[in-house]
Amino acid sequence: MSEQKRASLSRREFMKAGIAASAALGLGGAARFTPKVYGRARSAKKMIILGMDGMDHGLMTGWLAEGRFPTFQKLLREGGDFRPLRTSLPPQSPVAWSNFITGMDPGGHAIFDFIHRDPKAYFPIFSAAETIGARKSVRVGKTVIPLSGGQVRNLRKGKAFWQILEEADVPATIFKIPSNYPPVPSRQRTLSGMNTPDLKGSYGIFNYYTNETTAVIQEAGGGGRVHDAYVVGNRVEAELPGPTNSFRTDAPETTVPFQVFLDPANAAAKVVIQGQEFILKEREWSGWKRVHFNLIPTQSISGICLFYLKEVRPKFKLYISPVHIDPARPALPISTPESYARELERRFGPFFTKGLPADTSALDNGVLDEEEFLELDDMVLEESMAMLEYELARFDEGLLFYYFSSTDQRQHMFWRFTDPTHPAYDGKLAARYGDVIAGIYGDMDKALEMALRKADKDTVVAVMSDHGFNAFRRGFNLNTWLLQAGYHRLAKPWKQEESSLFDNTDWSKSRAYGVGLNGLYINESGRERDGIVAAGPDKDNLVREIAQKLEALTDPKTGERAILKAFVAKDVYRGRNLEMAPDIVLGFNRGYRISWQSPLGGFPREVFEDNTQRWSGDHMSSPEVLPGILLANRKIAAETPALYDLTATALSVFGVEKPKEMIGENVLE
Amino acid sequence: MGIVNLVFGRVVDIVLLPFRGASPWFGLATVSLLTALLMLEVYKLTSNQAAIRRAKDRIKAHLLELRLFQDSMRVTLRAQAAILKANLSYLTANLKPLLVMIVPLFLILAQLGLWFDRAPLRPGEETLVKVGLEENADPVSIPMELETSSGLEIASPAVRIPDEHEVAWRLKATAAGPGRLTLRVGGLTLVKSVAVGGKSLTKVSPLASRGSLWKQALYPGERALPAGTPVRSIEILYPAKNLSIFGLRVHWLVAYLILSIAFGLAFKGVLKVEV
Repeated sequence: MSEQKRASLSRREFMKAGIAASAALGLGGAARFTPKVYGRARSAKKMIILGMDGMDHGLMTGWLAEGRFPTFQKLLREGGDFRPLRTSLPPQSPVAWSNFITGMDPGGHAIFDFIHRDPKAYFPIFSAAETIGARKSVRVGKTVIPLSGGQVRNLRKGKAFWQILEEADVPATIFKIPSNYPPVPSRQRTLSGMNTPDLKGSYGIFNYYTNETTAVIQEAGGGGRVHDAYVVGNRVEAELPGPTNSFRTDAPETTVPFQVFLDPANAAAKVVIQGQEFILKEREWSGWKRVHFNLIPTQSISGICLFYLKEVRPKFKLYISPVHIDPARPALPISTPESYARELERRFGPFFTKGLPADTSALDNGVLDEEEFLELDDMVLEESMAMLEYELARFDEGLLFYYFSSTDQRQHMFWRFTDPTHPAYDGKLAARYGDVIAGIYGDMDKALEMALRKADKDTVVAVMSDHGFNAFRRGFNLNTWLLQAGYHRLAKPWKQEESSLFDNTDWSKSRAYGVGLNGLYINESGRERDGIVAAGPDKDNLVREIAQKLEALTDPKTGERAILKAFVAKDVYRGRNLEMAPDIVLGFNRGYRISWQSPLGGFPREVFEDNTQRWSGDHMSSPEVLPGILLANRKIAAETPALYDLTATALSVFGVEKPKEMIGENVLE
Repeated sequence: MGIVNLVFGRVVDIVLLPFRGASPWFGLATVSLLTALLMLEVYKLTSNQAAIRRAKDRIKAHLLELRLFQDSMRVTLRAQAAILKANLSYLTANLKPLLVMIVPLFLILAQLGLWFDRAPLRPGEETLVKVGLEENADPVSIPMELETSSGLEIASPAVRIPDEHEVAWRLKATAAGPGRLTLRVGGLTLVKSVAVGGKSLTKVSPLASRGSLWKQALYPGERALPAGTPVRSIEILYPAKNLSIFGLRVHWLVAYLILSIAFGLAFKGVLKVEV
């Protein structure tokens, strides 16, 4: 990663910072939910939905035509159906899954992007959740005693479909559905998925201990922290950082010390942490290790993490995964009822609780290589399969939704090996990892097989994804383009490339700005703090003008249009929750995406740049470019069903009337 | 020490024999009951029952005095001093039975630890074997070989830690049943038992030691290691045994003490023991 890139926050970095702030407050005491599983009214109708994040319709169609994936083929042969599933605008996971959860579009559920902005501060904010700290606290010396609990709040609006089913007395188990952190109040069994933070409250910060001087990753720069490890007498003394201690006025970071004893000759070491001792060979993962971070004598926070001894010598390299919330003693709300997470822990032992558990940051930064990343994600997948088997075994009524993240994560990281034109393509690695994406689709075929084995004639089985995928070859610096086109003005133009979070913007002369992965906002008077564009015709004309220019923009290197469609938000969204909506939503062309710096107010020199990172596949395109998939063991009446149609369909299976806010329709015959 | 451990071990083994397949609570309750009855008898025989009764009567009398004459400072203070004195007499009268009981109680607790403190390995489970060496022994220069019986395998190379005078291996249990580790050091062979699987109540000996009398008393599960090698101990890190009631985890020692006291108080009248 170049110095320039490190100077500004990327999308993932911002999310880390956002969740860190929220979870640090939330640790003081989060919302608690009803402790009992919902009472049941027995019904013969059942539904199993397998949510496979990011499975692409185009890829799937091609591989099915080649005769791959026996269970998918069998499903289609035996009366099932397969359709492209229209994704959300923009096709980002939090938005898409919210469409499915609520049966509305962003105008209804108010999630428009991973990142929103505070118009009064021109500052990016995390769109999914907010945390409210303890309202009252008492200070005794350097100790802060909260007198009330804090709260983590899910910002998604509208009822989740399992809440509607609950009102109709239809039981449901919702396993790791994205955009449900913290889980909305319900008596149904739900476990939070994507957006669930690690114990530091971040999107996932790994720790890397090494005496290799070339490692340069920093906490604010890519999802990890590098610690200098000094090997003295075949021994390394180090500390594992934990959450900040909100019981202290200076809020210090908690730590747990540990020791690593290296054998003088063998490539193995013994690790000692909080009384636990275990041996790792080189290139070996530990199982889950439980750690307790002490806050005050009566309070500690429990987390779980994995150790990986990458190298003993000549250089010492030890990776420790982000510290996950301990499901046996969750410090933040991760399930409804609360006991559900504990129940799973008793059955399976500690398990991955962080939203997207595969550590893409570690691979992106070269801390883990492709093989090591896959080993880690294989653990995630194996755990997912085991838990699916468990849930299927006891599923005998109502609805089961089950989510897989590995499809999305592997496509993000391994797309470059399927595309020789990608700037990060490596022929040698492609020979080895070129089939990883097809492989994970094949694993999903096995998941479907498990579900079909459980399904009887009354069970509707559906496989869905939230969006498709395509290459991320070229990054588009929206803010740089706005600057060059005269819509944005910097206070100190000579410091353009150092700008971050709009700290160098002259708002009195800026008419538009870009925040988030697809969002463009007009600097509207009355709405933005220093707005200069009047609402009404002035703004409308400006929006149309910018949209037209963006749609006409071509990449000088490829000659291709970068943006297929610039959607005017007020024309495309239904619903009344448009306060946080961007004015224009960018629908990128294939191969294009917003750059790494632009989403958080950065202004790199060039409008377009090659994406040379390992994060090489993405899904920020115009929705028609990358539909998801819908397969079912019933005929699908609609030619192009949408995510929100599937919500209405799920309710319809149980004869539950959809609320009037829902915009979808039943799509099964 | 070996004979004492053998005798106490056999007694506890026999007492727990009927409960091996049942919940550990049954065995623990039975041992607590028997211990309570035994200790009550020992207490009765070794204590001055008359002196204890007298001391308790005096305490009661002076407590009554305190209540009756609470308006008189002089009487209150005198009564408090008398209560203190009677308390000391009571404690003195308890000293002898306490000294008599403490040794067998400790030996019983050490034996119970083998049954209730650690759980055997489950097939597939991994743990560490740690060999502790003499202070002057260098683990790097001492040739050492660890072999396993069937049902066990060594899952890592040795990690030798000179600072800690220790050599450690990772051990994997592959099948249920009693297992054995054989450590060859300088022509001598040391053997350590390993428990894998088994019934809900299984005897688990975490440490074999050549150390002091104290260590042999504390870890009575195996014969002392022979002299003539630099090996002081062989330890297996077994997982802790879970003992829970109504979903609440309880340490076996706490459960044992509470049950013993409860049984003691319940039976002191029957056995006519003044406590």
